[in-house]
Amino acid sequence: MIYSEPKFLPGGDRFVLIEFGNEMNLELNFMAQGLATAIVEQKTKGIVETAPCFASLLVHYDPDQIPFRELQKEMMALIRALGPSDDIVLDSRLFYLPTMYRDPWTRACVEDYCNKITKKELDPEFIARVNGLADADQFVRVHSGTEYWVASLGFWPGLPFMMALDPRCVITAPKYNPPRTWTPQGTVGMGGASTAIYPVATPGGYQIFARTPVPIWDTEKRFPVFHDSIVLFRAGDRVKFVPIGKEEFEFIEAKVKERTYIYNVIEYQKFSVRNYKAWVNILDNSKRF
Amino acid sequence: MIEVIKPGLETSIQDYPGRIGYWAQGFPPSGPMDSWSFRLANLLVGNPADAAGLECQFVGPTLKFNAAMVLAICGADMKPTLDSKPVPMWESIAVAAGQTLALSFTTLGARAYIAVAGGIDTPPWLGSRSTFHKAGVGGMEGHALKTGQMVPVGKGEGKPGRKVKPEARPILATDRVWTVEVVPGPNDDWIDDVGHERFLSSDWKLSSKSDRTGFRLEGPQWTFTPKATNKAPEHGSEPSNIIDQGYPVGAINLCGQTPIILVNDGPSMGGFINPYTVPSASFWKLGQAKPAEILRFKSVSVEEAQALRRKIDGVCSESSVL
Repeated sequence: MIYSEPKFLPGGDRFVLIEFGNEMNLELNFMAQGLATAIVEQKTKGIVETAPCFASLLVHYDPDQIPFRELQKEMMALIRALGPSDDIVLDSRLFYLPTMYRDPWTRACVEDYCNKITKKELDPEFIARVNGLADADQFVRVHSGTEYWVASLGFWPGLPFMMALDPRCVITAPKYNPPRTWTPQGTVGMGGASTAIYPVATPGGYQIFARTPVPIWDTEKRFPVFHDSIVLFRAGDRVKFVPIGKEEFEFIEAKVKERTYIYNVIEYQKFSVRNYKAWVNILDNSKRF
Repeated sequence: MIEVIKPGLETSIQDYPGRIGYWAQGFPPSGPMDSWSFRLANLLVGNPADAAGLECQFVGPTLKFNAAMVLAICGADMKPTLDSKPVPMWESIAVAAGQTLALSFTTLGARAYIAVAGGIDTPPWLGSRSTFHKAGVGGMEGHALKTGQMVPVGKGEGKPGRKVKPEARPILATDRVWTVEVVPGPNDDWIDDVGHERFLSSDWKLSSKSDRTGFRLEGPQWTFTPKATNKAPEHGSEPSNIIDQGYPVGAINLCGQTPIILVNDGPSMGGFINPYTVPSASFWKLGQAKPAEILRFKSVSVEEAQALRRKIDGVCSESSVL
């Protein structure tokens, strides 16, 4: 549900978690990002930084500059001034990300998990089955059929938590139990209704089914797209996975290695919640790609 | 330059307050775990509070100086010696070119801090020199010091013989039991009354599987309110699962039944509840607690936690130096 009044949950002496609701719902993330934007625009005194998440916004503040009660008052005023979420318009870049679905590397990783930890159905087939899709091919069509909304970054620096914007492509998947001890760099996976990309090889709990050769973080800033940040994404970006085959994967991998890969980013668009909702309303959600 | 003869168990370059402003991208603050001792060490050698120094964990390093310097050691007692002769802690000392400083096993506390006049002068990364081991960034090549490395030092003029007043030093527990303040929240309403009472009245053993990302605690079971069990499926199946949310630094993060205090290098978000948060003023106790020692938790309000922080900030000032 979406709360009628957001909850202010203290996190020690210098953090507060502002919770807008208790479900995974794009609307709640729009509110979190809308408030984060308003805080930056209003230059609210004493706010050190904010971090949006699916249904909440974490605010890091300096208690010497603003007491908790006053902070709460200021935040409520900003939230009221935001008005209905329909009015929220956010800067939103669009990234085209070449991605090989059902690739050999995530498959080898799942097989390793089956051999060493516990047997499980291969992830693409499993997700297709639990979502009532015809087969893994349809899963690929559905998963790659939508733009994804970057709701937040975290768990690992630069790791995007994303949600499908096209309701016809919304699918869900339970997490691994127990988690994997490793995941290949660039793996695309999902857990719950969230899709993520693993920036580096780390343990993980999402179902995995694809891999991108394109780096999403770069501590050496080898590509111009990283000139003002070493992580590729920020909250409010959109990502479109472009399915590619193994040959194309290896071609791009070589381009990345010689530092000549050109990132495909669209930077002229804004995301209007009102326009988005109007579009969603005319779709026939009973049909899948 | 300072030459690393022996690196110690985990000696890393840190600055205070660390890498601030990148939480939304998933970068933690890093920085010294006991910032009280760290700031006093900087103060003794005449550095600004944000100058970079060394954090030494459990076993300290052996360092050789290629120039005369003024330094100070605060925090855990690792029996420091200069050319094999004992040197005082909580006091600025002069070292000559060619001398060797050696820190050994800690006898009291877990982390010692070495500040050098002028500060450690490695290149800052995202605005801070602090080492973030897990991602291999900051500090010297992104990791703890290694044998043979030459650590650059900035220009500075420290005075030897400056001492921290005894009453301005953190009291490192000698009975291996620490009382750590906690503020309820953000997710305290997921735990039932019995669960809260049990958390606040039990001894929690600090697990050896702890590091700068998280301090694992061993203790009794947790019990939950209906909120933890009757919830939308996207929260996850375990009672401690919640829709991914931002984590405050210091959150006591409940993974299944295991509480993990998320400390300086911890994750910025995830899908577990945080029933309590350790406030910044109590971090020095975490920084000085050793594995197998006991933590007891005392609930305080947001305002009390903020008052504690102001008190320590006041102590970390020139008025504490003799």
